[in-house]
Amino acid sequence: MATPAATAAPSVPPSLSLPPSQFARLQPHAYLLAHLCPPSASNQPSIRANGRAPSQFRVTSANAGSLTHTNGSAVVRIGDTAAVCGVRAELLHTEDIASWSVSQASGSNKRRRLADLGGKPSEEEDDEDTEEDRAHIEDLNLLVPNLSLSTGCAPGFIPGAAPSALAQSLSHQILSLLHSTRLVRADDLRVWYQPPNLGPEEPERHNEDEPMDMDAEQSATAEEKPREIKAFWVLYIDIMIISLAGNPFDAAWAAVLAALRDTKLPKAWWDVDNETIVCSDSVADARKLSLRGLPVSSSFGVFEADAAAGWRAHVIPDVTEQEQKGKKGSPERWILADPDGYEEGLIQERASIVVDKEKDGKTTIVRMEKNGGWTVDTEDLRQLVEISGRRWDEMKRILDQC
Amino acid sequence: MSAPLILLPGDEVLRDHLPSNNSNPLKLGPGLRLLSQPSSKSKAGNHVLTATQAGLVTTDAKRNTVSILSFSNRRYIPTVNDLVIAQIHHSSIDYFHCMVTPHTAHALLGQLSFEGATKKTRPMLKQGELVYARVLSIGVGAGAEVELTCVNPATGKSEPGGLGPLVGGMVFDVSTGMAARLLRASSSSSEQSDTIDGLTVVSELGKKLESLGGFELAVGRNGKVWVDCSNAGDSAIKATIAIGRCLQTTDEKNLNPADQKKLVTRTLREMNLAS
Amino acid sequence: MVGPTASLSNLSRADGSASFKCPTTGCSVLGSVNAPIELPARRDALKPEEATVEVFVKPGNTTAGVGERYVEGILRTMLQKVILGRERGFARRGVVITLAIIGGDAVERGDSYLTLLPALLQTALLALLSAAVPMSMTFSTALLAVTKSGDIISDPSPVDAKTASSLHVLAFSSKGHLLLNESQGRFDFDTWEFVRERAYSTCRGAVVAGSDGDIAMDEEGEEGRADGFIRETVEDHLHRDYAWKIDSA
Repeated sequence: MATPAATAAPSVPPSLSLPPSQFARLQPHAYLLAHLCPPSASNQPSIRANGRAPSQFRVTSANAGSLTHTNGSAVVRIGDTAAVCGVRAELLHTEDIASWSVSQASGSNKRRRLADLGGKPSEEEDDEDTEEDRAHIEDLNLLVPNLSLSTGCAPGFIPGAAPSALAQSLSHQILSLLHSTRLVRADDLRVWYQPPNLGPEEPERHNEDEPMDMDAEQSATAEEKPREIKAFWVLYIDIMIISLAGNPFDAAWAAVLAALRDTKLPKAWWDVDNETIVCSDSVADARKLSLRGLPVSSSFGVFEADAAAGWRAHVIPDVTEQEQKGKKGSPERWILADPDGYEEGLIQERASIVVDKEKDGKTTIVRMEKNGGWTVDTEDLRQLVEISGRRWDEMKRILDQC
Repeated sequence: MSAPLILLPGDEVLRDHLPSNNSNPLKLGPGLRLLSQPSSKSKAGNHVLTATQAGLVTTDAKRNTVSILSFSNRRYIPTVNDLVIAQIHHSSIDYFHCMVTPHTAHALLGQLSFEGATKKTRPMLKQGELVYARVLSIGVGAGAEVELTCVNPATGKSEPGGLGPLVGGMVFDVSTGMAARLLRASSSSSEQSDTIDGLTVVSELGKKLESLGGFELAVGRNGKVWVDCSNAGDSAIKATIAIGRCLQTTDEKNLNPADQKKLVTRTLREMNLAS
Repeated sequence: MVGPTASLSNLSRADGSASFKCPTTGCSVLGSVNAPIELPARRDALKPEEATVEVFVKPGNTTAGVGERYVEGILRTMLQKVILGRERGFARRGVVITLAIIGGDAVERGDSYLTLLPALLQTALLALLSAAVPMSMTFSTALLAVTKSGDIISDPSPVDAKTASSLHVLAFSSKGHLLLNESQGRFDFDTWEFVRERAYSTCRGAVVAGSDGDIAMDEEGEEGRADGFIRETVEDHLHRDYAWKIDSA
């Protein structure tokens, strides 16, 4: 069993009668190990079977606005994993929200303050503002992502099957990341109405003299008549993984991000005469969403040299022993960035980090997960955050170009 | 050992807790495994015993064994050589299909695996009847069938005595832990003392009910106890119920020997069996 | 501060069960484990040499949705690493863990499951111990929140968790490895290192360098340690179960 590992260096020696592709299928672990840990005699560099360095991501491309019937769309390809995302906006009238009037009454104080702040989101946000944002977006479910793994995106995805646990948990991850990063501002999704000030005692008359002095009234009497929200835009974010070759989350999230950056909402206002919301046809009137930051996700997998570790009855070393050994010994594991489908099959421990960078270039972690093993700890995570920071620069360039 | 040693999975069993008798190889019971230390600095063959289940470490110096006693109210999983009480579900040409535990596949009991059974003399067991049997094999892998037997295949005798159909009497459910205790208590010679493994209820019942003609008890590892007092005449049913109740209460309430004695006295008095 | 409470083997039909209640976060979970068990319906998913670990999370007031699928995935990956699925009698069989959330705030759609995750993990561990499923090690978990002002609070109440700037769930093995980390919110790596230190001391009670760790030690002491809590719960139960044995010895 030990010999194939030694002879499986990328240049196939004559003794091995199998072509590399077959060897990769028969002994996937030994194949990858031989690439990462080539025999010292050969002067091969340590490289992954797919030709990447351990911390190298696959070639990423993004294209926005490819679907014309959506409000925003994007296709993101990371290596052979491709995700399409379409954002469709629909109006939700506040009259149709059962609990709207109740929640309004209780929150009226806060609401008035918000109305004073005006529609433009200020650069440094008020606490109240974000709290209101959170309440509206999360409680009213204004963001509805749904991810599907399309039939045939990888072997094993058969037609007519129920959404797999993977698709469901990816949908949840995207939703909870949308919520926790507060990427979308609730104010972009609100349709406001400023009722004209007609005197409190005769509200019925307001049909007659309304549209012309709207502007004057708005400035003069904003204090007395608070603006009210007539409707919300609900964003249906549909993601389809059309080809799955490992690391679906990074691709899906990048697609969501690119699609939201591409999303344009038509100008909408409350038409008092018809008591309905009217949207403008003109593309010039439509405005883009102003997103908060640009969180970029990077996933990693840990490949362990010892394939049979689970079989061997070995004492699992304590943390302190492990550290001592890690310092002197050769690496027993490799952290592979952006694992492809082949590598994912050989990986148990995973880490996923979502970072954002502020204007001054400081990296902020938005989400950090690691699970499935015990080899990755503080030092590794610190490095991974650094790598994720570099990946952020790369992704920003790609997303800005698309 | 003074303090009871309770381990969690991953804990090491230290050398001083092991039986010091070095003449025989140490036998490991369930819940323990031997791991080798992979560190290169020390000499090879450095082994460590660790627990894989939470439980109480018990050692037997005589038999040189060490094992872990885990939580007692577990589902019964058949193991070779266990004595079980099985109920016939249906019979086919070669086998009786028996239920050992509820909601699991039936165990097979050969039509001829009874003492002295031939095609002509084999017992004709009907649905619902009970047998006291030994687990012969449990098969390998998922979906494997459990096979029972009522004879020792080597000798053709029903060893230990009592294997075979259980006629009359009544079955009571107890926890598997209690069943194991009862079996241990019966296997070690009962003359030594009244309390074995903290169980005095059986010997106490035996003393109290001697006047009624005594009773028969069969304990299955699958958490079943069969009780028969057919010698007791009119009060046979009462006595059977009383014995079953005593065993079940002892199990549920985890009574200590003194309380077990009290329980026996009280139960028998309540049922007008006290002699 | 009132510590969590737990009891073992509450259900008589399951192979192992446990209930866990944490008064500060208000959540209460009942878990059951059946193992090893035949999974005839999952024959395609069974692995030839290992046990298949299945986790089901049932929310208290609705049916399970995408959030539960996600948290089930986290639990499964983590527990698979700890369970010795290659022991005798476990290969090609299943270890089925069912966790029902029976109290505390419901998790809304799209909410993070982080506030419930430690309770779910602890319950799963206790239930696995009670079912005597072989495991290579135990673990302990901590839920920490970093407030807007930068303070680290352990076991935040639902209100604190909602307003916190970041939430962290960490699990450490009984040998000190970082088994699981789930962090959400906005934070930088230095903050996370403080969180890790604090979590380590709540889980394992080891004295760590740095003023933060020392403070944590003073208020928690030996008693409040998460791994000590698991051990005590198990020991209490075993003492009751084997009172006859321990008394006679």
